[in-house]
Amino acid sequence: MVNMRAALAWIFLLLTLRLAAPAGAETMPLTIGISQFPANFNPLINSMLAKNYILGFALRPLTVYDKDWQLACMLCTRLPTLENGGAVRETLPDGKPGLAITYSIHPEARWGDGVPVTAKDALFTWEVGKHPETGVSSGELFRRIVRIEVRDDKTFTLHFDRLTFDYNAINDFQLLPAHLEAAAFAKPAEYRTRSLYETDTTNPGLYVGPYRIAQVVRGQYVVLEPNAAWYGAKPAFPRIVVKAIEASPAIEANLLSGGIDMVAGELGMTVDAALAFEKKHRPEWVVTYKPGLVHDHITVNMDNPALADRRLRQALLYGLDRQTMVQQLFQGHQAVSNSLVNPLDWCYDPKVRSYPYDPAEAARLLDAAGWPAGPDGKRRDAGGRQLSLELMTTAGMRNREVMELVAQQAWKRLGIEVTLRNQPARTFFGDTVLKHAFPDLALFAWVSSPENVPRSMLRSDMVPTAANNWSGENAGGYRNPAMDRLIDAIEVELDRDKRRALWSQLQALYAEDLPELPLTFRSDPFILPVWLKGVEPTGHQYPTTLWVENWRVEGRPR
Amino acid sequence: MIRPLLLRLAQAALVLLVMSFLVYGLMGLMPGDPIQLMAAGSPTMTAEDVARLKAVYGIDRPLVDRYWHWLAGALGGDLGFSRLSAQPVAEALGPPLRNTVALMTCSLCLALLLALPAGVAAALKAGRPLDYALNLTAFAAISLPVFWLGLVLIMIFAVGLAWLPASGVETVGDGGGGDRLRHLALPVAALALAGFGHYMRYMRSAMINALSQDWIRTARAKGLSWPQVVLGHALRNAMIPVVTILALDLGTLFSGVLVTETVFAYPGMGKLIYDAVMGNDYNLALAALMLATALTLAGSMLADLLYRLLDPRIRHA
Amino acid sequence: MRRLLRHPPAAFGAIVLLLLTALALAAQPLQALLGIDAETLDLAAQLAPASSGHPLGTDEVGRDLLARLLSGSQVSLAIGLSTALVAALLGTLVGLLAGYRGGTVDALLMRLTDGVIALPLLPLLIVLSAVDPAKLGLPAEVLRSPGGGLARTVVIIALVGWTTVARLVRAATLSVKSHEFIRAAEALGAGPARIMIRHLLPNVVSPVIVATTLSVGNIILLESALSFLGLGVQPPLPSWGNMLSGALDLLGSAPMLAVWPGLMIFLTVLSFNLVGDGLQRSLDPRRS
Repeated sequence: MVNMRAALAWIFLLLTLRLAAPAGAETMPLTIGISQFPANFNPLINSMLAKNYILGFALRPLTVYDKDWQLACMLCTRLPTLENGGAVRETLPDGKPGLAITYSIHPEARWGDGVPVTAKDALFTWEVGKHPETGVSSGELFRRIVRIEVRDDKTFTLHFDRLTFDYNAINDFQLLPAHLEAAAFAKPAEYRTRSLYETDTTNPGLYVGPYRIAQVVRGQYVVLEPNAAWYGAKPAFPRIVVKAIEASPAIEANLLSGGIDMVAGELGMTVDAALAFEKKHRPEWVVTYKPGLVHDHITVNMDNPALADRRLRQALLYGLDRQTMVQQLFQGHQAVSNSLVNPLDWCYDPKVRSYPYDPAEAARLLDAAGWPAGPDGKRRDAGGRQLSLELMTTAGMRNREVMELVAQQAWKRLGIEVTLRNQPARTFFGDTVLKHAFPDLALFAWVSSPENVPRSMLRSDMVPTAANNWSGENAGGYRNPAMDRLIDAIEVELDRDKRRALWSQLQALYAEDLPELPLTFRSDPFILPVWLKGVEPTGHQYPTTLWVENWRVEGRPR
Repeated sequence: MIRPLLLRLAQAALVLLVMSFLVYGLMGLMPGDPIQLMAAGSPTMTAEDVARLKAVYGIDRPLVDRYWHWLAGALGGDLGFSRLSAQPVAEALGPPLRNTVALMTCSLCLALLLALPAGVAAALKAGRPLDYALNLTAFAAISLPVFWLGLVLIMIFAVGLAWLPASGVETVGDGGGGDRLRHLALPVAALALAGFGHYMRYMRSAMINALSQDWIRTARAKGLSWPQVVLGHALRNAMIPVVTILALDLGTLFSGVLVTETVFAYPGMGKLIYDAVMGNDYNLALAALMLATALTLAGSMLADLLYRLLDPRIRHA
Repeated sequence: MRRLLRHPPAAFGAIVLLLLTALALAAQPLQALLGIDAETLDLAAQLAPASSGHPLGTDEVGRDLLARLLSGSQVSLAIGLSTALVAALLGTLVGLLAGYRGGTVDALLMRLTDGVIALPLLPLLIVLSAVDPAKLGLPAEVLRSPGGGLARTVVIIALVGWTTVARLVRAATLSVKSHEFIRAAEALGAGPARIMIRHLLPNVVSPVIVATTLSVGNIILLESALSFLGLGVQPPLPSWGNMLSGALDLLGSAPMLAVWPGLMIFLTVLSFNLVGDGLQRSLDPRRS
């Protein structure tokens, strides 16, 4: 045993002796570790975090949420609104209200082969996006556009078939180079395999951002080099290499051995792995935690008669010391959530009801709900049935399992019997959650976006059933007409202040009703070298790489 | 000789067919539809998108229909496209297969190179200090999970001493033979050490068994020298269980080693099969798994053939 | 048995195994005696060093490491030993039948073996995890109970783990069955069952013992892979395999979390193999 310890001590002594690699700082590439390799590269076909991250260097969407979660123009020149006249209400031929929105593409925007980005590209992209056979995963935006009018080379007008508050957000409208991609689209059903993004990924003409993809070694890495046709600020690195390394310990080893310079927060390490790394106090790196939009919570099965009683749900939340749990597990880098809206979102209501740890109040609510504690401390109803709940989650995810264990222990103290049953993610999400098939409680996370209306999660017609082919994500079976009305009202309320009031009502109702027990919003840990400046974590699904031209080098060791 | 071989090939073809149906069926029976799971992870996908995509990828058709379609294509040499990577299956399969072949060949050779002599030596010195030392090494190698071993190797040789790269297949912009070998060193060492324990124990036991046979005494009595007896007779006999184990490993060898690949960020067949199965990429998963099955069957045939060569008595049986 | 114990390494192995088993059986009283338990979390005492309250310190969520090693020994030893034995029995049966009978029986059984070896575990296990035990006529309580979960793990691993032994036994049987003494037994009118058990089995047992004793470590680790898919033991029940794989992420900061369960697995594998060696000697028909 002594020898083993000595050997380990020796290993970690060696860790500290590594020397920096020599080379000129200005000509040195930036090597980034991410935990997944993109399956494909076409930006429109589907959305995948690893792909979005890499394409962020090389493509620019027309509009995007910025780091303050406000909608902004990226490839367009000015965000069209009703106020500035860029968006105009109109009536569609069928008499329904519609909207005409005009966008102008940046005048200097050119594809990597020098061909200007034009309104023709927008028209082509729409054709691809709305075609039922191309396999574009998020087709909703394209289907809502009834017509595109080309005004001039750089300007086009989209005619939408409805009026919603997020009318001018066309973030999914990722322009494709018509001059290169038209041939592949000749047979729409084969577009997804014939697209040049898949067959000729390093073709410079496919990219419009500061970088272009210069080399792809599948499963291993992607090399990006500056795009000669880029019109914006000159990016700092002559080369960026993105390496896919899945396992946290391997990512860490690569950082320490110089295999990578930084770890992307969007998909890199888990918070606990980053915390463990940080504990070693490595002065060469800064670890930044950015709260994100992945919301860990426990969905309650509302069809269960016991849990249908709101007092029981409130008691469960009062009886769980979320503050201590989150503080201890994430060392203050994640906060307890009080509602489904992230505190970074403008529509978050800071006055929303929170449930501080209060076991006495929890006990009182349980008594009131008809579950008094017996002499053995266990709670039973009038019929003598013991209060017993089954808590389910995905097997093999450590953080979730720990939260599950903490909840089990806390609720046991209240006199509630809690059994755990975990399943592989495939089974849990594909069967148990999707088909509304968990008996009591299910712990998992939602991925959302800024100001995301919880229509599919909380509206009463979104409960998955065999009849609707299990569509909808209201897995708990929550049905409340007041919630339905609020969701409908928010979607069409264009006035920001009025919408804020509606959002407050929605959050208040959520916190009162507790269709889900909110736990915490997950943070993204960014591990950056001290010499890299200007990386601004966003926290939402649009990655930091979209602003790579702001990344700078200061004092990089040679 | 020809007839039994043909019979055996016919059996193998039948097993392949049954297995392809089983695997297709199992993948189809897995809970959770990949399109639906994709929708759960992307807020902008609607129920309409889900229905449309299922139609585009043909996932809405009955399983048996899809299987026949696949089988007809595969028998005609068309393995189709990998749904996830939008590449032809052969193209998606190529690089991981090459990586796995390199990794597994090197580690198996190294393991055998160490384990067979060590096993023979341990058997000859059974009960002596050398035997104990070799056995303890073998037990330690078996008890340590490969991922653990891999991580410790990375900590020492990549992070601590900076002699070798921590992971990957090649350095960006290099990719020459020497560079690839340097990347192979650590995963090969980890796998070879684990393999060493197994093969050494089989070799040792088989050798001890062979040395205690009557005919060894007979051979000695006939005046053959000890090395002649050991190398010529006992070793040949002792190879039977080792060959069996090796043949058993042939199929699993090329279905990859997921955990080791993950620790060393080394894209091989293990990761490919895992991703293809989890993502319901039928074409890719079937091609990879059928390849592994075919190799298992080939290994089994090879083993039977080798028995005949190694043990002349089996021929008359 | 006495002959087995006369071999010092085997005796050592047997004693260690007995000790481990005794510890596993006495895990609950021992924990009570020491005032520790394997399931209580204490988020205020994460990765605490060894102290009088926690003789080996605590894990990443403040559970007592010693208590978890003790509780984990129950799961790991039970699964490791019983699965290895079940797989060995099954494999020996198939291998003997195939090797001795030959012909169609051999072809059928060996192609079945090939099929099982080639069967991809991942989709199979995921499908299994979605099977509702109630639909199979098993009461849900049985599978939810720790004992039921253990039995399921043993069955799953044994059903895919018998192939190595089957192949080895068949190979050895093929080689032995042409010996004169088998012919002699047949000529004397011994039935096939008698021949297989009395005459063939003792001669093929050596590879079986090696394969079985070697497999114990793998099985203990495989159990944790099953837990990863929700098919092994459910939390909060610990097992050595789970403890070891859970410590992976913390290998750099808390290596002892991995070292302790690793050491226990090593001890088990070591002593099981030593006993196996001794058994092989004492069962060898030529030495009696």
